[in-house]
Amino acid sequence: MRALARPAQYLALACYLLFLGFPLLWLISASVKSSGELNSLTVSLVPEQWHWQNYPEALERQGLIRSAGNSLVVALASTALVILIALPASYVLARLKGKVRAAGIGWILVSQVFPVVLIILPLFLILRTLGLTDSLPGLTLVHTTYTLPFALWMLQGYVAAIPVELEEAGAMDGASRLRVLRAIVFPLLAPGVVATAMFSFVASWNEFFFALVLLQSPENYTLPITLNMFIGGEGKVALGPLAAGAVLAAIPSIVFFTLLRRRLTGGLMAGAVKG
Amino acid sequence: MKIRRAALAASLLSLVLTACGSGESGDSGPVKLTFQSLSDQPGAIEQTRKTVDEWNRTHPEAQVEIVPAGWDGVYDKLVTQFNAGSAPDIIHYEAAGIVPFAKDGYVADLTPYLPEAKRADVTKGVLDSVTVDGQLVGYPTEVQSYVVFANKTMLANAGVSLPTGPTMTWDQLREIAKATTKDGNFGLGWGLSSPTASFVAMAPGFGGKYFEGTGDAMKVSIGEGEMALPKLVSAMAYEDKSIMPVTLTQSGTKALAPFYGGQVAMTIQGSYQAANIAKDAPPGFDWVVLPPLAGPAGPAQASSAQTLSVNKDSAHVEQAAQFIDFFTSTENLAAINEADGLIPPTKSAREALAAKVGTKNGWDVILSSGEHLTSAPYVFADKYAQWKDTVATPAYQQFLAQKIDANGLAAQLRDGWQNISG
Repeated sequence: MRALARPAQYLALACYLLFLGFPLLWLISASVKSSGELNSLTVSLVPEQWHWQNYPEALERQGLIRSAGNSLVVALASTALVILIALPASYVLARLKGKVRAAGIGWILVSQVFPVVLIILPLFLILRTLGLTDSLPGLTLVHTTYTLPFALWMLQGYVAAIPVELEEAGAMDGASRLRVLRAIVFPLLAPGVVATAMFSFVASWNEFFFALVLLQSPENYTLPITLNMFIGGEGKVALGPLAAGAVLAAIPSIVFFTLLRRRLTGGLMAGAVKG
Repeated sequence: MKIRRAALAASLLSLVLTACGSGESGDSGPVKLTFQSLSDQPGAIEQTRKTVDEWNRTHPEAQVEIVPAGWDGVYDKLVTQFNAGSAPDIIHYEAAGIVPFAKDGYVADLTPYLPEAKRADVTKGVLDSVTVDGQLVGYPTEVQSYVVFANKTMLANAGVSLPTGPTMTWDQLREIAKATTKDGNFGLGWGLSSPTASFVAMAPGFGGKYFEGTGDAMKVSIGEGEMALPKLVSAMAYEDKSIMPVTLTQSGTKALAPFYGGQVAMTIQGSYQAANIAKDAPPGFDWVVLPPLAGPAGPAQASSAQTLSVNKDSAHVEQAAQFIDFFTSTENLAAINEADGLIPPTKSAREALAAKVGTKNGWDVILSSGEHLTSAPYVFADKYAQWKDTVATPAYQQFLAQKIDANGLAAQLRDGWQNISG
């Protein structure tokens, strides 16, 4: 019985991975099917004929590469800004006691309540006054503002999970406040920072509505806007090129996650050793 | 690590450079007009670009820049743009979408800029749908009708002769559907997951209008004319059993798969699907477009045309209107509709396109269906979109699933409108 346990675990894991990966596999499969096959009754994961033309068509059709570049710039810049602001703020928020903390937490929660449709017009007017509509810096600011409350909330949870006794022990050993932060808190906080960075990046990478309204020039369009243009009026959808575009759009996210994953694991282990 | 730092630094640098380059130039050259285009098919995008290039070549004093946009979310985008005073000069949209903006005073009246003959060239019903308080708020560019595509082989095997003549009746369609329902196959596949658009568009054939009155006083009217088509679909699905049941819950495009697979003999689709069927149908698939459907009140269909409008706050309304005049010349309208697989709203462009494409891919029948397009009262109903999404579509879905009867459907459609319109 025990001998069967390990294969059963692998089988369960394989099933789970298949379950998780199936939508991606289906997307990849759709990206290499002709429109005739996509609209046929025969449903198959493996295409009857590999139709690679969807990829060049997707790339040529709406300036996909330029849009991907714009998305990358905005996502990386807003992620950097979010982390830069959220890191010290979350520490203060987690360690602070009393009414100020309660007010801060309350404000974060309240800021999540407003629907984007409600805030888009005043936001647009503010950005226009600043000369930042239809610009990537303007969109970066918006994404930062939009993501920051949740990032703060997320990161302050990680800070709160670090025992304050560790900081006190460091102080007892004569370490300054800054050294305590640098040598004790930040290494333990690394997984939280990485997770928050991942969240911020994905939130910005996928964001559609603000980009739709704020960006006017095609040269500034981000990836979700460009992909949206594969869906036409009257229910027309260029499914093959759209799938190809979506596969290409997923690549930078996967690369970003792969790069950060090691830091996430490293940070977790660092925390374990110190604990 | 170094690579990541370098990448981050590069992105921040490019961000700063972008910021530096985003200032507006104060050039005093030719007039610059922005044209927010929703063209989505490769052919239509190319044709739009060609037309704009031609304008720019022949009109150095007023240069047009295309701003491509997508259909999804364009309403929200326009709401913000109009309210913030940053809408493009020339706006591509549809009658049902632009009329509310026109009522709010955001759209210029094109009447003074377009010749009488040009307006008279548009099918009257279509022209009515873009006329608000006597003002022409958009010039129609493309329309679609619903037509019946049929598998000729299946019809022949069932001993059905193809209907001839300028129109065919719904009774004929029902008979053909019954005759071709056999051997596990069905006579008709109709993607009715979002049935409101089809039912409202085809109601005029039964004398149905759905909406009466004007402005805030507009009322929904659910009588025999409006109920006739849903009842007919229900009868075909559950009495005749000649409609493939699964298609009733599918989108229009999804219902093409059983058509290609020989499981349904006919399918009702937007006319633009002719181009897709020609491209995607399996080799040897023999298909035809049947004559336009006619109800007791004739073959009329209501349609919300795609339109070109001018932003009233544009600094160059006259030049923008002149561009629309150029863009909608007979030749250009025929070309853009050919590329998009849609029907020109003007008689002259339909004739020009008919002369070019002949009977290929059912174009002759599709273009003839454009003659029967009539005014669309729903275009002027302010809360139509809300009623459609929150009341009508769920009610029709329940009716087609036999969860409510005809009386229940009529009551939901009526009461829902009253609740929404206050």
